[in-house]
Amino acid sequence: MNKNMEITKRTENMVEKQQDLATIAPVVDIYENDEEILLHADMPGVTKDKISVNVDNGKLEISGVRNLQRKGVETWQEFYDVEYKRVFSVPQTIDVAKVNAELKDGTLKLHLPKAEAAMPRTIEIRSA
Amino acid sequence: MWTRMNDIDRMFSAMDLLRSINSDRSYGESSGWRVAGGFPKTNMYDNGDSFQMIAEVPGVNKEDLNIRIQGNYLEISGTRKSDAPEGYKTHRVERNLSTFTRSFTLAADVDADKIDAVLKDGLLTLVLPKAESAKPKQITIN
Repeated sequence: MNKNMEITKRTENMVEKQQDLATIAPVVDIYENDEEILLHADMPGVTKDKISVNVDNGKLEISGVRNLQRKGVETWQEFYDVEYKRVFSVPQTIDVAKVNAELKDGTLKLHLPKAEAAMPRTIEIRSA
Repeated sequence: MWTRMNDIDRMFSAMDLLRSINSDRSYGESSGWRVAGGFPKTNMYDNGDSFQMIAEVPGVNKEDLNIRIQGNYLEISGTRKSDAPEGYKTHRVERNLSTFTRSFTLAADVDADKIDAVLKDGLLTLVLPKAESAKPKQITIN
Protein backbone atom coordinates (compact mmCIF):
# COMPACT_ATOMS: atom_id res chain seq x y z
CA MET A 1 0.00 0.00 0.00
CA ASN A 2 1.55 3.33 -1.01
CA LYS A 3 1.61 6.30 1.31
CA ASN A 4 -1.34 8.12 -0.34
CA MET A 5 -3.53 5.01 -0.12
CA GLU A 6 -2.55 4.56 3.51
CA ILE A 7 -3.52 8.16 4.37
CA THR A 8 -6.84 7.76 2.50
CA LYS A 9 -7.57 4.55 4.42
CA ARG A 10 -6.76 6.23 7.74
CA THR A 11 -9.06 9.17 6.90
CA GLU A 12 -11.87 6.76 5.96
CA ASN A 13 -11.44 4.99 9.29
CA MET A 14 -11.62 8.32 11.13
CA VAL A 15 -14.81 9.27 9.28
CA GLU A 16 -16.31 5.88 10.13
CA LYS A 17 -15.44 6.38 13.78
CA GLN A 18 -17.08 9.81 13.81
CA GLN A 19 -20.27 8.29 12.43
CA ASP A 20 -20.37 5.77 15.28
CA LEU A 21 -22.83 6.57 18.03
CA ALA A 22 -21.48 7.85 21.31
CA THR A 23 -21.97 5.34 24.11
CA ILE A 24 -23.26 6.58 27.44
CA ALA A 25 -24.18 4.78 30.63
CA PRO A 26 -27.88 5.03 31.55
CA VAL A 27 -28.60 6.15 35.11
CA VAL A 28 -30.09 3.38 37.26
CA ASP A 29 -31.85 2.73 40.56
CA ILE A 30 -31.44 -0.72 42.15
CA TYR A 31 -33.77 -2.24 44.75
CA GLU A 32 -33.96 -5.65 46.39
CA ASN A 33 -36.35 -7.71 48.47
CA ASP A 34 -36.38 -11.38 49.50
CA GLU A 35 -37.72 -12.53 46.12
CA GLU A 36 -36.00 -10.37 43.52
CA ILE A 37 -33.67 -7.55 42.52
CA LEU A 38 -35.25 -4.67 40.62
CA LEU A 39 -33.31 -2.40 38.29
CA HIS A 40 -34.78 0.78 36.79
CA ALA A 41 -32.75 2.39 33.98
CA ASP A 42 -33.54 5.63 32.14
CA MET A 43 -33.25 5.22 28.37
CA PRO A 44 -35.42 8.00 26.89
CA GLY A 45 -36.20 7.72 23.19
CA VAL A 46 -35.23 4.05 22.92
CA THR A 47 -37.97 1.82 21.52
CA LYS A 48 -38.62 -1.75 22.69
CA ASP A 49 -37.12 -3.30 19.54
CA LYS A 50 -33.84 -1.41 20.04
CA ILE A 51 -33.18 -2.65 23.57
CA SER A 52 -31.25 -5.74 24.51
CA VAL A 53 -30.79 -7.35 27.91
CA ASN A 54 -28.28 -10.15 28.37
CA VAL A 55 -27.51 -12.12 31.50
CA ASP A 56 -24.54 -14.42 31.20
CA ASN A 57 -21.90 -15.78 33.55
CA GLY A 58 -22.67 -13.36 36.37
CA LYS A 59 -22.83 -10.31 34.08
CA LEU A 60 -25.95 -8.35 33.21
CA GLU A 61 -25.61 -6.12 30.16
CA ILE A 62 -28.29 -3.67 29.12
CA SER A 63 -28.01 -1.73 25.90
CA GLY A 64 -30.21 0.28 23.57
CA VAL A 65 -29.91 2.58 20.58
CA ARG A 66 -31.76 5.87 20.16
CA ASN A 67 -32.50 7.32 16.73
CA LEU A 68 -34.30 10.64 16.97
CA GLN A 69 -36.99 11.65 14.48
CA ARG A 70 -36.01 15.18 13.51
CA LYS A 71 -37.92 17.62 11.36
CA GLY A 72 -36.25 20.76 10.07
CA VAL A 73 -33.03 22.60 10.75
CA GLU A 74 -31.65 22.25 14.25
CA THR A 75 -31.71 25.47 16.24
CA TRP A 76 -30.13 24.00 19.35
CA GLN A 77 -29.29 20.52 20.46
CA GLU A 78 -28.63 19.27 23.99
CA PHE A 79 -28.96 15.53 23.34
CA TYR A 80 -28.09 13.28 20.42
CA ASP A 81 -28.52 9.82 18.92
CA VAL A 82 -26.70 7.59 21.36
CA GLU A 83 -26.08 4.02 22.34
CA TYR A 84 -26.88 3.33 26.00
CA LYS A 85 -24.78 0.56 27.47
CA ARG A 86 -23.98 -0.60 30.99
CA VAL A 87 -22.73 -3.83 32.52
CA PHE A 88 -23.43 -5.01 36.07
CA SER A 89 -22.21 -7.95 38.10
CA VAL A 90 -25.17 -9.98 39.27
CA PRO A 91 -25.17 -12.64 41.97
CA GLN A 92 -25.09 -16.24 40.70
CA THR A 93 -28.25 -16.77 42.73
CA ILE A 94 -30.38 -15.00 40.09
CA ASP A 95 -32.75 -17.29 38.21
CA VAL A 96 -31.74 -16.28 34.69
CA ALA A 97 -34.65 -18.09 33.03
CA LYS A 98 -37.18 -15.96 34.90
CA VAL A 99 -35.66 -12.51 34.26
CA ASN A 100 -38.24 -10.21 32.71
CA ALA A 101 -38.25 -6.65 31.49
CA GLU A 102 -40.76 -3.90 30.75
CA LEU A 103 -40.29 -0.52 29.11
CA LYS A 104 -42.48 2.37 30.22
CA ASP A 105 -42.11 6.10 29.67
CA GLY A 106 -38.45 5.73 28.65
CA THR A 107 -37.56 3.71 31.73
CA LEU A 108 -36.48 0.06 31.47
CA LYS A 109 -37.67 -1.95 34.49
CA LEU A 110 -35.88 -5.24 35.01
CA HIS A 111 -37.06 -7.92 37.40
CA LEU A 112 -34.30 -10.34 38.41
CA PRO A 113 -35.91 -13.10 40.49
CA LYS A 114 -33.74 -14.96 42.97
CA ALA A 115 -33.35 -18.72 42.66
CA GLU A 116 -35.38 -20.78 45.13
CA ALA A 117 -32.23 -21.90 46.94
CA ALA A 118 -31.24 -18.27 47.61
CA MET A 119 -34.54 -17.23 49.18
CA PRO A 120 -34.65 -16.82 52.93
CA ARG A 121 -36.18 -19.74 54.83
CA THR A 122 -37.64 -20.03 58.24
CA ILE A 123 -36.22 -22.99 60.09
CA GLU A 124 -38.60 -24.75 62.38
CA ILE A 125 -37.11 -25.76 65.70
CA ARG A 126 -38.05 -29.25 66.76
CA SER A 127 -38.48 -30.10 70.38
CA ALA A 128 -35.98 -32.60 71.61
CA MET B 1 6.26 27.47 47.90
CA TRP B 2 2.66 28.07 49.01
CA THR B 3 -0.19 27.74 46.57
CA ARG B 4 -3.12 30.04 47.15
CA MET B 5 -6.55 28.36 47.56
CA ASN B 6 -7.78 30.53 44.67
CA ASP B 7 -5.44 28.72 42.30
CA ILE B 8 -6.65 25.32 43.47
CA ASP B 9 -10.29 26.39 43.15
CA ARG B 10 -9.59 27.64 39.64
CA MET B 11 -7.99 24.33 38.69
CA PHE B 12 -10.99 22.33 39.96
CA SER B 13 -13.41 24.68 38.15
CA ALA B 14 -11.55 24.06 34.90
CA MET B 15 -11.72 20.30 35.49
CA ASP B 16 -15.47 20.48 36.14
CA LEU B 17 -15.97 22.51 32.98
CA LEU B 18 -14.01 20.01 30.88
CA ARG B 19 -15.93 17.13 32.39
CA SER B 20 -19.28 18.74 31.62
CA ILE B 21 -18.23 19.37 28.01
CA ASN B 22 -16.77 15.93 27.36
CA SER B 23 -19.42 13.77 28.94
CA ASP B 24 -23.15 13.66 28.61
CA ARG B 25 -23.53 13.11 32.33
CA SER B 26 -20.99 14.29 34.85
CA TYR B 27 -20.41 12.96 38.31
CA GLY B 28 -21.34 15.60 40.83
CA GLU B 29 -20.32 16.32 44.37
CA SER B 30 -23.61 14.98 45.64
CA SER B 31 -24.18 11.23 45.54
CA GLY B 32 -25.32 9.79 42.23
CA TRP B 33 -25.19 11.08 38.69
CA ARG B 34 -26.57 14.44 37.71
CA VAL B 35 -27.47 15.76 34.32
CA ALA B 36 -25.19 18.58 33.28
CA GLY B 37 -26.93 21.66 31.91
CA GLY B 38 -30.39 21.37 33.43
CA PHE B 39 -33.34 19.04 33.17
CA PRO B 40 -34.95 18.21 30.88
CA LYS B 41 -32.49 18.34 27.99
CA THR B 42 -34.15 19.75 24.89
CA ASN B 43 -33.57 19.91 21.15
CA MET B 44 -35.21 22.48 18.87
CA TYR B 45 -35.69 22.31 15.10
CA ASP B 46 -37.05 24.96 12.73
CA ASN B 47 -39.18 23.56 9.93
CA GLY B 48 -40.02 26.87 8.22
CA ASP B 49 -43.73 26.76 9.05
CA SER B 50 -43.27 25.34 12.53
CA PHE B 51 -40.83 24.57 15.32
CA GLN B 52 -40.32 21.08 16.67
CA MET B 53 -39.10 20.71 20.24
CA ILE B 54 -38.07 17.39 21.78
CA ALA B 55 -37.44 17.09 25.52
CA GLU B 56 -36.06 14.12 27.46
CA VAL B 57 -38.48 13.35 30.29
CA PRO B 58 -37.94 9.69 31.25
CA GLY B 59 -40.22 8.39 33.97
CA VAL B 60 -42.51 11.45 33.87
CA ASN B 61 -46.25 10.85 33.42
CA LYS B 62 -48.47 12.90 31.12
CA GLU B 63 -50.42 14.12 34.15
CA ASP B 64 -47.25 15.49 35.75
CA LEU B 65 -46.26 17.69 32.79
CA ASN B 66 -47.41 21.24 32.08
CA ILE B 67 -46.84 23.22 28.92
CA ARG B 68 -47.60 26.95 28.71
CA ILE B 69 -47.30 29.19 25.70
CA GLN B 70 -47.79 32.92 25.33
CA GLY B 71 -46.73 34.52 22.07
CA ASN B 72 -43.16 33.28 21.63
CA TYR B 73 -42.64 32.38 25.31
CA LEU B 74 -42.75 28.64 26.01
CA GLU B 75 -42.56 27.07 29.44
CA ILE B 76 -42.30 23.35 30.24
CA SER B 77 -42.67 22.27 33.84
CA GLY B 78 -43.32 19.04 35.66
CA THR B 79 -42.50 16.65 38.42
CA ARG B 80 -40.69 13.39 38.34
CA LYS B 81 -42.16 11.22 41.07
CA SER B 82 -40.56 8.27 42.81
CA ASP B 83 -41.18 4.83 41.35
CA ALA B 84 -39.39 3.09 44.23
CA PRO B 85 -41.36 -0.04 45.13
CA GLU B 86 -42.54 -0.47 48.68
CA GLY B 87 -40.91 -3.06 50.88
CA TYR B 88 -37.65 -3.14 48.92
CA LYS B 89 -34.18 -2.23 50.18
CA THR B 90 -32.54 0.51 48.13
CA HIS B 91 -29.04 -0.29 46.88
CA ARG B 92 -28.43 2.56 44.43
CA VAL B 93 -30.24 5.75 43.40
CA GLU B 94 -28.92 7.65 40.37
CA ARG B 95 -32.25 8.74 38.87
CA ASN B 96 -32.89 11.96 40.74
CA LEU B 97 -36.41 13.10 41.51
CA SER B 98 -37.10 16.68 40.71
CA THR B 99 -39.59 19.40 40.05
CA PHE B 100 -38.41 21.23 37.00
CA THR B 101 -39.21 24.29 34.90
CA ARG B 102 -37.55 25.33 31.68
CA SER B 103 -38.57 28.36 29.65
CA PHE B 104 -37.68 29.35 26.11
CA THR B 105 -38.07 32.47 24.00
CA LEU B 106 -38.77 31.20 20.49
CA ALA B 107 -37.57 32.98 17.37
CA ALA B 108 -41.19 33.69 16.32
CA ASP B 109 -44.72 33.76 17.74
CA VAL B 110 -46.60 30.46 17.51
CA ASP B 111 -50.27 29.65 16.97
CA ALA B 112 -51.22 28.39 20.44
CA ASP B 113 -54.43 26.68 19.22
CA LYS B 114 -52.59 24.39 16.82
CA ILE B 115 -49.81 23.09 19.07
CA ASP B 116 -49.44 19.31 19.12
CA ALA B 117 -47.81 17.60 22.11
CA VAL B 118 -46.97 13.88 22.25
CA LEU B 119 -45.31 11.98 25.09
CA LYS B 120 -43.76 8.69 23.94
CA ASP B 121 -40.88 6.53 25.21
CA GLY B 122 -39.80 9.24 27.66
CA LEU B 123 -39.60 11.96 25.00
CA LEU B 124 -41.97 14.92 24.85
CA THR B 125 -42.35 16.13 21.26
CA LEU B 126 -43.98 19.49 20.63
CA VAL B 127 -44.91 20.76 17.18
CA LEU B 128 -45.38 24.51 17.40
CA PRO B 129 -46.87 26.02 14.20
CA LYS B 130 -45.70 29.56 13.64
CA ALA B 131 -48.27 32.34 13.66
CA GLU B 132 -49.35 33.38 10.14
CA SER B 133 -47.52 36.69 10.47
CA ALA B 134 -44.28 34.88 11.32
CA LYS B 135 -44.32 32.33 8.48
CA PRO B 136 -41.84 32.73 5.63
CA LYS B 137 -43.43 34.24 2.52
CA GLN B 138 -42.46 33.98 -1.12
CA ILE B 139 -42.27 37.43 -2.71
CA THR B 140 -43.11 37.61 -6.39
CA ILE B 141 -40.95 40.01 -8.36
CA ASN B 142 -42.99 42.07 -10.81
